[in-house]
Amino acid sequence: MAGRAESTAVAAGRRGAQILARRTRRRNDRRHNLAGYMFIAPWLIGFFVFTVAPMAASLYLAFTDYDILSTVPRWVGLANFQQMFLRDPRYWKSVQATFYYVMIAVPMRLAFALLVAMLLNTYRRGVSVYRAIYYAPSVVGGSVAVAVMWRQIFGTEGMLNALTRLVGMAPITWLGDPRTAIWTLIALAVWQFGSPMLIFLTGLRQIPSELYEAASIDGAGGADKFFKITLPMLSPVILFNLVMQVISGFMVFTQAFIVTGGAPLDTTLFYALYLYRRGFANFQMGYASAMAWVLLLVVAFFTALVFKSSSYWVFYEAKEEV
Amino acid sequence: MNRNRWPIVLSVVLVLSLALSACAPAATPTPQPKPTTAAAQPTSAPAQPTTAPAPTQAQQPVELRIVWWGSQDRHDRTIKAINLYMQQHPNVKITYEFVSWADYWTKLATQAAGNNLPDIMQQDYAYIVEYTNRNLILPLDDYVKDGTINLNDTTPAEVNGGRVNGKLVAINLGSNSQCWVIDVDAFNKAGVPIPANDWTWADMERTAMQLHEKLGIYGMGAGLWDEQIWGSLYLSNGEWRYNADGTGIGYASDQPYVDHLKMLLRLQKAGAIVPRAEDVANYFGKSVEAQAIVSRKAAMGYIMSNQIVAVQKAAGEDRNLKLLPLPRLTGGKSANYIKPSQFWSIATTSKHPKEAAQFIDWFTNSIEANQILGAERGVPISSKVRDALKPTLSKAQAEMFDYVAQVSKTAQPIPPADPPGHSDIVGNVLYSEVADPVAYGQITPEQGAAIMRQEVNTILAKNKK
Repeated sequence: MAGRAESTAVAAGRRGAQILARRTRRRNDRRHNLAGYMFIAPWLIGFFVFTVAPMAASLYLAFTDYDILSTVPRWVGLANFQQMFLRDPRYWKSVQATFYYVMIAVPMRLAFALLVAMLLNTYRRGVSVYRAIYYAPSVVGGSVAVAVMWRQIFGTEGMLNALTRLVGMAPITWLGDPRTAIWTLIALAVWQFGSPMLIFLTGLRQIPSELYEAASIDGAGGADKFFKITLPMLSPVILFNLVMQVISGFMVFTQAFIVTGGAPLDTTLFYALYLYRRGFANFQMGYASAMAWVLLLVVAFFTALVFKSSSYWVFYEAKEEV
Repeated sequence: MNRNRWPIVLSVVLVLSLALSACAPAATPTPQPKPTTAAAQPTSAPAQPTTAPAPTQAQQPVELRIVWWGSQDRHDRTIKAINLYMQQHPNVKITYEFVSWADYWTKLATQAAGNNLPDIMQQDYAYIVEYTNRNLILPLDDYVKDGTINLNDTTPAEVNGGRVNGKLVAINLGSNSQCWVIDVDAFNKAGVPIPANDWTWADMERTAMQLHEKLGIYGMGAGLWDEQIWGSLYLSNGEWRYNADGTGIGYASDQPYVDHLKMLLRLQKAGAIVPRAEDVANYFGKSVEAQAIVSRKAAMGYIMSNQIVAVQKAAGEDRNLKLLPLPRLTGGKSANYIKPSQFWSIATTSKHPKEAAQFIDWFTNSIEANQILGAERGVPISSKVRDALKPTLSKAQAEMFDYVAQVSKTAQPIPPADPPGHSDIVGNVLYSEVADPVAYGQITPEQGAAIMRQEVNTILAKNKK
């Protein structure tokens, strides 16, 4: 969440700076330039001190052996990357777990969010209350409290097993069985559908109702309307949600950290969790930094892929008018 | 004013006001203590009115920061002791933090990197070498010499665990040893005899199976896949898990480890121990209060002897718990050693090392303090404190004192402190590549033991000079 807010802030800040710069150049007045920078100084300082500097440090550390406790990182060149790709079976397990999660949890969460958004896209009385209620899990979603609750629900003595006992079945160790553990986290992800739902809801509101009326007159059924009107008209919003969810999916951490701890058999050892363990439990900060930069590249690659593919499936009204 | 100048003026005003408002809370002196300070804790409330701050006191006010890990019971007791100390030393203000073992070393390392270590920190045998070599903790010999820290009532064996390269860097907070805690009532109910102190792993297996069959609960709790048990197998064999200079595996044959893993698989299959799947699902990362024996789901458990105090408290005072030494290999020697349960160390960066040393001295020698602490960190090293505590000991504390006294007769000398790379081995090999794949049936015990040997040698090879 913080990363997303930050990146929009970055974009907004940059846009503001550019507009300001252009205007002042036109007037050829240096003082205006200075004023502009002064206005954005609080943000600029924050950006350089809390974003650029740590990123540069992490890039440097990626090529070192650094255990936090010693004062000086030792330069090791590409050794961290060699170990990661060639000699660390756990690394590949974490990659596998993360891809599994992203490939399943992201589409499921989006589908669920769209479904709920469509249900809530009516003008009945009290629907705004429902919207607020359905959004609530996402407000507390990233928090530790929800993850702890999840742990209780799926624990061996948890709520779910109380139900299985009621119907006379043997209790299931949801969190200890490699076949079920990751699905508890996927369920948690799907349950936290609130923010994409809200964005879908706004998108649905933008679709002109004339389109549906015209389609009804032409005899189109509900499915036709959904696939031929709703989905194409909504596709820019879907693209936005998809990009955001893929990025946050690759960075999933809290849920696994608290609910499963990466167990069993590393099936829920997500990339960010393993990175954290290497950095802060084994004190291999250089190795963790190297992992972080590989993650950055992988996320950038998949984001680019989604954007590239968008020309095949995203429908922009504006484009046809040009 | 020139019309062109107002944006600059405005922006400067804006930035300054922002900066000022951001700084304001920090800039004003805040007399009220932070939420973590002891004075704010309800436990100290009754003591507060009597401790009128003594303005006549000539001593400078001193603030000490202190951190430890542990169970809820330890937190409660330590906070109470700290409050008593502040009551007796009005010029000393102590702020404290406490976390679980799993988070502790992360927190400490981060603070070390930020040059922000607390004045007094709880230390462990596994870490003091590293902290000493990086010059993060202070040698305490001078404070012992000038009497600030009084160790006259201790034996060298109790103190020397805190020596690194000949220098005393850490004060032992209590002696303990690994053990089996057994539920005597459950044994009686099942009609299973209580094992002898020199019992073997074969006895352990048979006992757990019998308890399970008779009572329908787990015979034995979780944790038998851990690195301490792995090491103890070889200690019983007169060897250790790592070699003396910490550059490779320390034992000749994989067979004891293979046999151990096979036994665990048999017990797990029979339902006689907490299976690994439930272990990782429910007991992972939790403190000792979550042990299966506490909730009567198991008749035996594996703990450190000082933890009996917390276990008894969580299980209830009416439970009859007894401690047994670790099982031995058949025909083997004792698998136990006496370990300093934990230490206090002083950070090199501390501004008040003298006052910190005084606190450690009080913690070690004050009978009042130790009555509050209740030997929860292990058997106190001061014989005077031990004697003073003996008449007031609870059932659990008395059991622990007896156990440590009895085990120290046969115990092995303490193995060398773990070499750098140990946390890598435990975190990234022992569980993820060996214990779990064996427990879940992905690889055989033989394969697991072979992987262990190979990976330990690879990781520790970096320590070769």
